[in-house]
Amino acid sequence: MPDGRIRPYLRALVPVERFGGPAPTAAVTADPAITRVPRPFVLTSGRVTGTDPTIRLETQVTARYSGQRWDSPELSRLPSEMRNIVLLCAEPFSVAEIAAQLRLQLGVTKVLVGDLRAAGYLDVHVRNSADPSTPDVIQRVIDGLSAIT
Amino acid sequence: MDLAQSPDPIRSRPSVPLPVKIVVAGGFGVGKTTTVGAISDIAPLTTEAEMTEAALGIDNLGVESQKTTTTVAMDFGCVTIDQSLKLYLFGTPGQSRFGFMWDDLAHGALGALVVVDSNRLDDCYPAIDYFEHTGLPFIVGVNAFHGQLTHELTEIRWALAISDQIPVVRFDARERTSVRDALLVLLGTALNRALGEPSG
Repeated sequence: MPDGRIRPYLRALVPVERFGGPAPTAAVTADPAITRVPRPFVLTSGRVTGTDPTIRLETQVTARYSGQRWDSPELSRLPSEMRNIVLLCAEPFSVAEIAAQLRLQLGVTKVLVGDLRAAGYLDVHVRNSADPSTPDVIQRVIDGLSAIT
Repeated sequence: MDLAQSPDPIRSRPSVPLPVKIVVAGGFGVGKTTTVGAISDIAPLTTEAEMTEAALGIDNLGVESQKTTTTVAMDFGCVTIDQSLKLYLFGTPGQSRFGFMWDDLAHGALGALVVVDSNRLDDCYPAIDYFEHTGLPFIVGVNAFHGQLTHELTEIRWALAISDQIPVVRFDARERTSVRDALLVLLGTALNRALGEPSG
């Protein structure tokens, strides 16, 4: 993991993930200090660099768990911007699409996606091979585009 | 709440496609967004990137440069090739001061289509310089506004000072099949490159 330190507002899921402990309860989310959520640039603590360089514009992102809803206990502690990312990624979306759909800046989106991955909410499908430009892939794109009329 | 009530990890997750991308570069107003929109499955999306702007060109690395922060809008679209392959098209501003943004865009891209307005050739010089420098396969697409070109393609090639190996095509950014054909020329170039350099 590129970011070993889990931000406080992201810690809800970590005990379940790492220690098998109980999931957070509603009482936790009732804390008024938590309901006052910070805004995106505050969420990233001003970080725009130092993000995982393997997270790129086209990198596909999916939610790790299915069937989560806006009021799911696992999501209720998250600031709304992060909750929206997890909910959107019930289907695979690229980082660029997440940014556009949720009207977040790209740099902010990358940071939030990286944080949500570190906290166990998201799977980020980083390619193993650095360069996808193999003859096979290019030929498939050629065939696909040729079918467009 | 016990663990049994926790959400289950997705078992039948929709397959995650392999994303590939093509960069559509060029100066302001040359038809990048039109190009993307003509071929994209979806209406072009816009996102903003805040970036550090080097006041001097990307090639002037030896010179200490003042840096400021600016916000750049980027339009993009996508074409679903099949369930396991998705093509993204990123339209990006072509100014040399945004060269560092191209690194993120160009890394892993199949190639680049440099869109040119034949009335304003200067606008595309930084993009051509960049792709020549990085070795990314690219072609020049001369957008025929209203079906008209003010210069012949051979004149444009001469003016751009690009090698004979770089295809220069005329296309209409508003026409889906015209954009398709321009992209196919680019992909043919990329395929030849990939076949010639199998270790790459």
